[in-house]
Amino acid sequence: MLLEIGIALVLAKLAGYALERVKQPAVIGEIVAGIVMGPFIAGKLFGIEYLSPITEGMGQIGIVLLLFISGLEIGVEEIKTAGKKGMLTSMFDVSVAFIFGFIAGYLLGYDIRTSIAIGNILVATSVGITVRTLMEMNALHSKVGELILTVAVLDDVLGILVLSFTLGKGQPMMLLVKVFIFFLIFLMAVFVISKVKDIKFHIPRFALTAAISFAFIFSALAYDLGLAAITGAFFAGLVLSNLPQRRRINEFTRQMGEVFFIPLFFIWVGASFDFYALKDMGPLVLLFIPMAFIGKIIGCSTGAKLCGFKMRDALAVGVGMIPRMEVALVVVTTEITMGVFSEALAHQVLAATILLVIISSLLTPVLLKVVYREEKENKVEEQSG
Amino acid sequence: MFFQTFILSFIFHVVELKELHEKKIKEILDEKQLWNMPILDKEASIEEVLSVLTGRDHVWIVEEKGSKKLCGVITESDILRLLAPHHLPKYVFGKRYGISLHYGTAKKAKDIMHKHLIKCSLEDKVGNVLARMVNAGIRRLPVVEKDEIVGEITVHYILQILLGKR
Repeated sequence: MLLEIGIALVLAKLAGYALERVKQPAVIGEIVAGIVMGPFIAGKLFGIEYLSPITEGMGQIGIVLLLFISGLEIGVEEIKTAGKKGMLTSMFDVSVAFIFGFIAGYLLGYDIRTSIAIGNILVATSVGITVRTLMEMNALHSKVGELILTVAVLDDVLGILVLSFTLGKGQPMMLLVKVFIFFLIFLMAVFVISKVKDIKFHIPRFALTAAISFAFIFSALAYDLGLAAITGAFFAGLVLSNLPQRRRINEFTRQMGEVFFIPLFFIWVGASFDFYALKDMGPLVLLFIPMAFIGKIIGCSTGAKLCGFKMRDALAVGVGMIPRMEVALVVVTTEITMGVFSEALAHQVLAATILLVIISSLLTPVLLKVVYREEKENKVEEQSG
Repeated sequence: MFFQTFILSFIFHVVELKELHEKKIKEILDEKQLWNMPILDKEASIEEVLSVLTGRDHVWIVEEKGSKKLCGVITESDILRLLAPHHLPKYVFGKRYGISLHYGTAKKAKDIMHKHLIKCSLEDKVGNVLARMVNAGIRRLPVVEKDEIVGEITVHYILQILLGKR
């Protein structure tokens, strides 16, 4: 077990670095390293058994840390300052992306709960790829870049909320009460933290230990209330985002997470990639991936257009929001852990999501450059006309 | 050790460290300090921030010109991060990674400042304030009364007091 983890970490780091060199996200490298470490390659060739309850458990810790970091970095203030345009666009974005995912599931003949679960996977955008592309194109400071950043921040929050509401355990009324209780505790925690201006006692590194412990306790609380543990981790991050020690907590959690636990989660995701699932997942992939693209383009473009953006700019916002990455993988893994999918379907959905992550990362920069090129050409035509 | 202390006390009036730890901030704070502190308002341009930082290693950010209501700080290391080639981390969340000098998204002081500050008050003991600086890994703390900045405690300031220069 120790040897497998050691080899997997180095492999993931090297694969991540190699992909960064060709301007692709390191996360894909970590997933590929996981596929190599899985039962179909390293398992067959060297008899390595990477998948075990221990590696799964470490991956789960990675998920909690990842969502905690996400909540810390987004912060309550960024949500407050999102503005009307950001709010409106992200409402359209989240609802249309979710509905398109739901329709994909429904058309494939899955039941309502499964279709909702597929809708949830398509909600959250990964902003990293778009930011990289916009930087390359020197368009990050444009109206489009600004709106994409704001909406991508908000749809992480809304995505987690949608997941909590749609996939919580128990009767609908009881679930509503539990969600209400959770958010009441969240608001109380935000209030208490906002009053903590000065800590009179000094235990070395106490804030760091307390913060990490708070993330796990809040995750456990969310889980016990029938919500997903990731909801708790994310909102724990939001609660602590107002602390003066936020930066220090964030740096510490990032170091601990980025070096060890979070790569282990993505390696675990890759190792769970089932090659046998590929032969039965044709219809799922053919509907799931196009719906993921179209849902974001229609949802975000409509929202941006209603906010007064020109059609081309609105389209660029839609295209910029296509990439799915960390949160989509966290959501699908959480849904599998919650037992939403049957075992065979779980393998197919996980494999389809991994394919979506890779395809959306590769295609978004190309599509975004096409949309922006069109815009520049049109501008030149307008000037010469 | 005794010899060193003897030499130092011969050159300067050395203050005992334990004695200093027990003092309150108001006992060591120079009232005239506020006039010489690097302060800008949050709408100040990046050029103004850089200009102040050519002479100082940090700048306190207040709500508006003429106000003392503290809302942030920008340090040398923040600027170093902005000047270096922009590098995105492996996992990107929030808008902060989109803030960059190269790509024109850092325009005003409020875009790059740290909003959540670790502070101290006039009634705090020096020992506690130093422990807070060590725990947080920072070299300067604003002294705040009713959300308004009234002074600052820096490592240099403490050294000057220890060596009897203040």
